[in-house]
Amino acid sequence: MFDSTLPIFLFVAVATLLPAGMLLAGRLVGPRRDTKVKEMPYESGMDPIHDTRRRFDIRFHLVAIAFLVFDVELLFLYPWAVASRGEAGGIDHAVNEMQWVECRDLVFAGVMLFVALLAAGFAYDWRKGVFKWR
Amino acid sequence: MLEALIKIVVVIGAIMTAVAYFVLLERKIAAWVQDRKGPNRVGLPLTKVRLFGLGQPLADGVKMMLKEEYIPGHVDKALYVLAPISILAAALATFAVIPFGSVWPTDGGPIEFVVAPGFDAGLIYVFALSGIAVYGVILGGWASNNKYSFLGGLRSSAQLIAYEIPLSLGILGIVLTAGSLKLDAVITQQAETGMWNAFVQPLGFIVFLVAATAEAGRMPFDLPEAEQELIGGFHTEYSGMKLTMYAAAEFMHMITASFLIVILFLGGWHFWGLTGSGDQITWVTALIRVGVLCGKIFLVILGFMLVRWTLPRFRFDQLMALAWKVMLPLGMVNLVLVAAMVEYFPGAIVDRPLIVFLGMSGLTLVSLVSMAILAPLGSKQQPSTLDAEMT
Repeated sequence: MFDSTLPIFLFVAVATLLPAGMLLAGRLVGPRRDTKVKEMPYESGMDPIHDTRRRFDIRFHLVAIAFLVFDVELLFLYPWAVASRGEAGGIDHAVNEMQWVECRDLVFAGVMLFVALLAAGFAYDWRKGVFKWR
Repeated sequence: MLEALIKIVVVIGAIMTAVAYFVLLERKIAAWVQDRKGPNRVGLPLTKVRLFGLGQPLADGVKMMLKEEYIPGHVDKALYVLAPISILAAALATFAVIPFGSVWPTDGGPIEFVVAPGFDAGLIYVFALSGIAVYGVILGGWASNNKYSFLGGLRSSAQLIAYEIPLSLGILGIVLTAGSLKLDAVITQQAETGMWNAFVQPLGFIVFLVAATAEAGRMPFDLPEAEQELIGGFHTEYSGMKLTMYAAAEFMHMITASFLIVILFLGGWHFWGLTGSGDQITWVTALIRVGVLCGKIFLVILGFMLVRWTLPRFRFDQLMALAWKVMLPLGMVNLVLVAAMVEYFPGAIVDRPLIVFLGMSGLTLVSLVSMAILAPLGSKQQPSTLDAEMT
């Protein structure tokens, strides 16, 4: 288990150190001259009118919530997708040897019911105007 | 451990070089499309040899390094620095599970062309890291404390998370036919059956292609940096090395997207009658497989670049509507079709490839036509009429 994930951790470590090193190199090599005007936000040459941290459109929140719901529901489908025709420990194994479920069709029907619920939720969101953007 | 480290260094070096030269290629193609010459001056350093501008990436890199590493006064300093690091690290780390070929035969057993050969959850890992890219974008936009950056960051994150759902629906169909989350296993399955997934599930291919283009922020989905509206989008306040990191990460997203498209849908290293399909191979076959994979990826990237100069940019409401109202339903239809095929005709891909191909293409055509008739993006959904509906 650890043997297969160790390269991943190593890779992530190297991939994080590399950009950090690039920044450091840039800091060491490049010039440094601070001026008052340079520190201002760039807003097409105008003096900024107020701070950016103000209220923004609620639709971005709606998109984020819809994303969370659909993404998590799709993640629930991944184990089934892997087990569906997987060689060892798949659905066939659960049906024939472990006898957890009576037949494959029941599993398939369950998943299709899940997808149908997903579709129903999707249709509800659509009717409620979550995806309406103007 | 040592083997993994060597692979990591080689992969990161290759990817960074590839990014630099793909930037040059992109500029050259842009120039040819617009009937210019493009960068052609910089050649060998310290000589007058021009060499078609092949020295340009090197010169650009040195120039970016020598720029001032500037942090503006009004930003949230920690997040401002963290954002480009996280996006580049996530973009690089994706390549840990991507196979660059099949295997290399040695006396001590075959060496796989992938950094983490035994890792079982490759597709989930890629998917998780593409979620971290959203952090880079939204942190950069928020920390910059600039209205252009903030709007650009909001837009980009909305786009990225919206297209993540069709992306994952497309992958789900692949997982169903391959029965594994390993990218290697997906290629092997396609090589053994000789049927690339693009032929088995064309609808999934279309959905995945569009979603991957949007995830990579390429035209026609490059809303994040709609220069005419948002100056630079979420990286307006970035300069020097940090801007380079954002740009490099963006190019890497395109390369990752090409790898995924080729590996998941276009057969990876497999080509009929050229590469074979087994694990017992000579080094000639191994080289051919790497060549085929690289060739395919080059063609897909070339396609991305040509699309950039062919299609105009979407409006933001069209972009969101395309994700939620077109791609998500199509992805769900594809999932049900593939699930039914895998459940009730498990051997059909091997036994009757032609029927599978024709049947799935026909069903794809039916879904696309019915989508065109229903027209969720049609004139009824234009902003002006929506205003009328609301009042």
